[in-house]
Amino acid sequence: MNFLQPLKITIPPQAGHFTTLRRKNSHACIRDMISRLHRFLMSCRPTTRPLACHTAGDLFRVIAVAVVIAVFVLLPPVCPAAERWMEATAPRQWSFPRDHGSHPRYRTEWWYFTGNLRDGRANRYGYQLTFFRYGLATEPRLPANAWSIRDIYFAHFALTDGVRKVFHHAERISRAGPGLAGAKRTHMDVRVLGWSAVMEGGRIDLRASHEAMALALRLTPAKPAVFHGERGLSRKGPGPGEASYYYSFTDLRTEGTIGIPGTTAPLAVEGRSWFDQEFGSNQMTKDKAGWDWIALRLSDGRDLMVYHLRKKDGTVEAESSGTLVEPDGTSRHLPLSGIEMTVLSHWTSEKSAGRYPAAWRIRIPGAGIEVTVSPLVAGQELVTKAAVPITYWEGAVKGRGSSEGKDVTVEGYVELTGYAGPLGGIF
Amino acid sequence: MKSVIRSFLRYLVRRRSLSTLHLLGIAVGVAAAVGMTLASRSALRSLEEAVDFLRGGATHTLERPAGPLEEEVLARLATDPAVRSLAPVIDRQVRLEGDEKIRLLGLDPFLDREVRSVTARIGRSESDDARQRLFSAFLFDPRAVLVDEGTARRLGLAAGSTLPTSQGSLKVVYVFPNPTGEPLIVADIGHAQELFGLRGMIDRADLVIAEEAPFRARWDKGFKIESGRQKTETLTALLGAFRLNLQVLSLFALFVGVLLIYNTAMFAVVSRRRDAGILLAIGASRRQIAAAFLVEVLILGTAGGALGGLLGYLLSGLLAKVVGEAVSTLYFFLKPSALPWSFWNLGGGIVLGAAASLVGCLPSLLELGRVEPVRVLQGRTASRGARKTTNRVALWGALCLAVAAALFLLASLHLYVGFAGAFAFLTGASLFTGLAIVWSVPVLKPLFGSVMGLSGRIAVGNIRENLGRTSVAVAAFMIALSLSIGLGAMIDSFRTSVVWWMNSQLRGELYISTKGDVHVPEDFYEELGGIAGIGGIDIFRNVQITFRGKPTSVTSIDASVLQRYDRFVWFEGGGENWEPVKRGSVIVSESFSRRFDVKKGDRITLDGVDGPRELPVTGVFYDYSTEHGVVMMDRSTYLGLYRDRTINSLGIFIDETNPDREALIAEVKRRARARGLPVATRAEFHRRILDIFDGTFAVTRSMRILAVIVAFFGIAGALMTLFLERRKEFGIFRALGFSTGDVARLTVAEGVAMGIVSFAMSVIVGTAFALILIKVINLESFHWTVFYHFTLQPYLVTGLTALAASLAAAAYPVWSVYRKYPVVQIREE
Repeated sequence: MNFLQPLKITIPPQAGHFTTLRRKNSHACIRDMISRLHRFLMSCRPTTRPLACHTAGDLFRVIAVAVVIAVFVLLPPVCPAAERWMEATAPRQWSFPRDHGSHPRYRTEWWYFTGNLRDGRANRYGYQLTFFRYGLATEPRLPANAWSIRDIYFAHFALTDGVRKVFHHAERISRAGPGLAGAKRTHMDVRVLGWSAVMEGGRIDLRASHEAMALALRLTPAKPAVFHGERGLSRKGPGPGEASYYYSFTDLRTEGTIGIPGTTAPLAVEGRSWFDQEFGSNQMTKDKAGWDWIALRLSDGRDLMVYHLRKKDGTVEAESSGTLVEPDGTSRHLPLSGIEMTVLSHWTSEKSAGRYPAAWRIRIPGAGIEVTVSPLVAGQELVTKAAVPITYWEGAVKGRGSSEGKDVTVEGYVELTGYAGPLGGIF
Repeated sequence: MKSVIRSFLRYLVRRRSLSTLHLLGIAVGVAAAVGMTLASRSALRSLEEAVDFLRGGATHTLERPAGPLEEEVLARLATDPAVRSLAPVIDRQVRLEGDEKIRLLGLDPFLDREVRSVTARIGRSESDDARQRLFSAFLFDPRAVLVDEGTARRLGLAAGSTLPTSQGSLKVVYVFPNPTGEPLIVADIGHAQELFGLRGMIDRADLVIAEEAPFRARWDKGFKIESGRQKTETLTALLGAFRLNLQVLSLFALFVGVLLIYNTAMFAVVSRRRDAGILLAIGASRRQIAAAFLVEVLILGTAGGALGGLLGYLLSGLLAKVVGEAVSTLYFFLKPSALPWSFWNLGGGIVLGAAASLVGCLPSLLELGRVEPVRVLQGRTASRGARKTTNRVALWGALCLAVAAALFLLASLHLYVGFAGAFAFLTGASLFTGLAIVWSVPVLKPLFGSVMGLSGRIAVGNIRENLGRTSVAVAAFMIALSLSIGLGAMIDSFRTSVVWWMNSQLRGELYISTKGDVHVPEDFYEELGGIAGIGGIDIFRNVQITFRGKPTSVTSIDASVLQRYDRFVWFEGGGENWEPVKRGSVIVSESFSRRFDVKKGDRITLDGVDGPRELPVTGVFYDYSTEHGVVMMDRSTYLGLYRDRTINSLGIFIDETNPDREALIAEVKRRARARGLPVATRAEFHRRILDIFDGTFAVTRSMRILAVIVAFFGIAGALMTLFLERRKEFGIFRALGFSTGDVARLTVAEGVAMGIVSFAMSVIVGTAFALILIKVINLESFHWTVFYHFTLQPYLVTGLTALAASLAAAAYPVWSVYRKYPVVQIREE
């Protein structure tokens, strides 16, 4: 993936948090870090265990975005620091609400929300609110000073206005500082400069606002959490520790208000959301051209996720796959051979000149599904500049088709990466 | 018509030297005004640029009314719906080796990028690799800093250099461009907290705010919120009196300039009377002659104005530097960059030169209208009639003086009224010149007669004979000299007052650090308190606050210590004023009292950290530390009001009778130096204040020089015209047996006599002008009483300048006499 090219890690020799550890020379460090990152991204192929990766594409997009962002934002101050981070090595004994919270002994972690909403007049909207934590040091140098850095937190917030056909997005970044950003360890309570995701009494409250954009939503899981891999241990590669812990809520009943630029009063909305949380330390992978990831909720209660992993030679990675979640919460893996995905049209971004697929026909013969989907708004491209220069397409889609012989409508979210120019540079 | 104009213009060429002098006269007058205006504008523009650069995209700043802000406030700000971006700032000073102070900003590169580009630029021109490394170093190395280009160049620093400072050695990781030229060091905010012992605190939050009114309502209590516009306004207000002085100085320059141009135009007319008479005699109409004359004056005015615009632009660069230095010592760092060249300078100069020439030539034009060809050709000049009008002119002068007096009485209405009075006074005084010349002749004639013989007597006679011309030249010269004496005497009086004030108020044995320097750690104060034998330690803190919408300041002191050791000079009462101060009352400076009309017994309301609080005013004291006024209170009152424990400086007092004085002083010095704190003895401290004082008046001094240069051209032009006009008289002198030397002496005597009259008048007018500056202008613009104090120096310097200028002005005519005298004929007679 070309956005990994600018990744070069160097370590300030003076930042000796881990003076007792063996220090590698900086070039070896860089190579090592790059290769680990590449291995992590590559290891998301759902090869290890078919069942383990029923939402591997989901995992994939999250990891990819997060890792890319994290890596571009900042670099570890000391190379051997990674050796002190805990690694995902064995299936996990999950304990909620504790595990909805932060796992600071793992280097990267994210909380990822997307959803499709409607107002009282059945107008369609989409939202994305994602929080990332990236550990720069296992311990802050001066714990008594709130500004002493351990983690960097950042967040992306996007709203799709299906009425005016407009897409809005914003981003925030901060160190923990004196209460500016952070994630609690005891339960889900993650905040970045006034944007927050807080779980209380089994429900998640999301809040974010930026200029005229605003969001205040309450999410209630309609299906139980889905653990990926082996009890949430999602393998990324053959080596020990090349894995992450990963679970999702694929169907969250959502209600609240959103503020759309150009409108005066907040809009009351309701709909469905998707949530992923993942954490790990040793998540590396190698280059790919990008991926197309599609997650759909069918009106008959089934959730479908499919993804194509695109290789640089233009072919689709054989391990690309999908997952089907039934209305009762049970799920099954869909191999690539069981998925037919056809791109019907394209859209070219004026901002980035990236040429993105813009409509798809998806057939899952084994599940009796055939749907056609297209974006709610063509331009749902995030070109983030301030915190992290990265360009990707992440947007709300809608469509119709049939499921087990019955007509269904569908809606969901699509993520497309690797179509727009290099994602380089920091600050 | 054309031929009339042509005949006039030919004269310009024929009298090249005179034309050049006139041209230069106009040019210098215009240059003074343009230069001062441009310098003032450049200073203001640089101020705005500096504010903009440091403010970046921030719309507002939020801070405590005094002292640092708890960092927990940031989390509340982050969730405020009106706040789009926030950036914490620590804004302090560090001392370098060699005692230079540099501003150090502590910033958070993540938050600050939404507001400023400084930290976002780290490693911008480097490879990705290097950029990552630099950024990590900045975040993780507690000693890592960014340094601005100018400072790096000056100190020979580059990325990787070490910079020793009062807060320990700093490591330069990157050098960034700073268009304002202000020396600047930038550190990560957490590291800055550690450097200054400010853990948990910041100095302010820079904010981007969407809706101001609701935000202000939410953060009303205990915070000071200032919009970018207010910030600029506050800074501009701080400069207010200073700027006004600059403006007035340039107005004075223009005033002298117009007089000079009037002088020039008048001489142009006088020297053209004969030509005009001939032209009239051969049939030219008066209108044609007036038009021709106007064309000539306009050509001179335009060319002189253009030259003046150019010179003024060049001068402005110099003046801007002086202004910048004065502002930097007094108020805040300012480095005015020269304004880019614009043809408007030229255009403005031309307009100014032409307009002033027109105004200046009007009286002469009227005179030209009355020219009677027969009388002119007979050789009589109209100026003989001017003698009769001398008394009438003086009467007008008296009227002007009366107007001036009336204006001074009304000066409290607005500062401009006072300035108008000053101009009326100068105008009135200049109208007395003719009378002064007439009166001085009986004194000067015998004086010059005894020293120079006949030449001297004739010279004095000539000055009186040509009163119409000489009086204007003397007036211009006199005004310039008066400005010089007035400004000089004012500065000297002011200086004497400051010395008196320092001796009464700043009586500490030692002063550790100062207001504009690094802060004193509180534990150092406690440490010093443990030294036996020290009589008292005054703990000084000064913060700028806003009171009734205007910038002013609050100072906290130790009332008990000052009561015992200092000798404050009060408007009312004495040392007993300290008693209520110890119990929570405040005292205010004279400038505060006058600015806000607050008197002993009044109550003032200050915004504290817990909201507004009323404080009784128990006394008013003399003070020259700031024209914006000071509210002084005991530290206990201050801490209650602001909870700000910062210490700007310590004053150490030791009893005169203490036998260990010297040892104690040495001990305190040693301990202060060990902490990297600057320490000054009383004498050193006083000298530094006087240095600042003198630096402040650098602008005024340069204006004095300008005034004298302008005056020189005035007197030189007058002498030369007199000389040229009377060339034929030289023929008679020759026939009477005058040698070349006699005529040269005559010319020199004329110059010196005019110089003497000018100087004699300026002694009176200048002294009065000094009193006006002190009692009206200073009082109204700075709100403080300066006591007039006679010093010889301004008079001596001005007298010598007058003599030198008169002699120099006579140089050309003398040279001309030696060159041409032998061929001067008396054909016409």
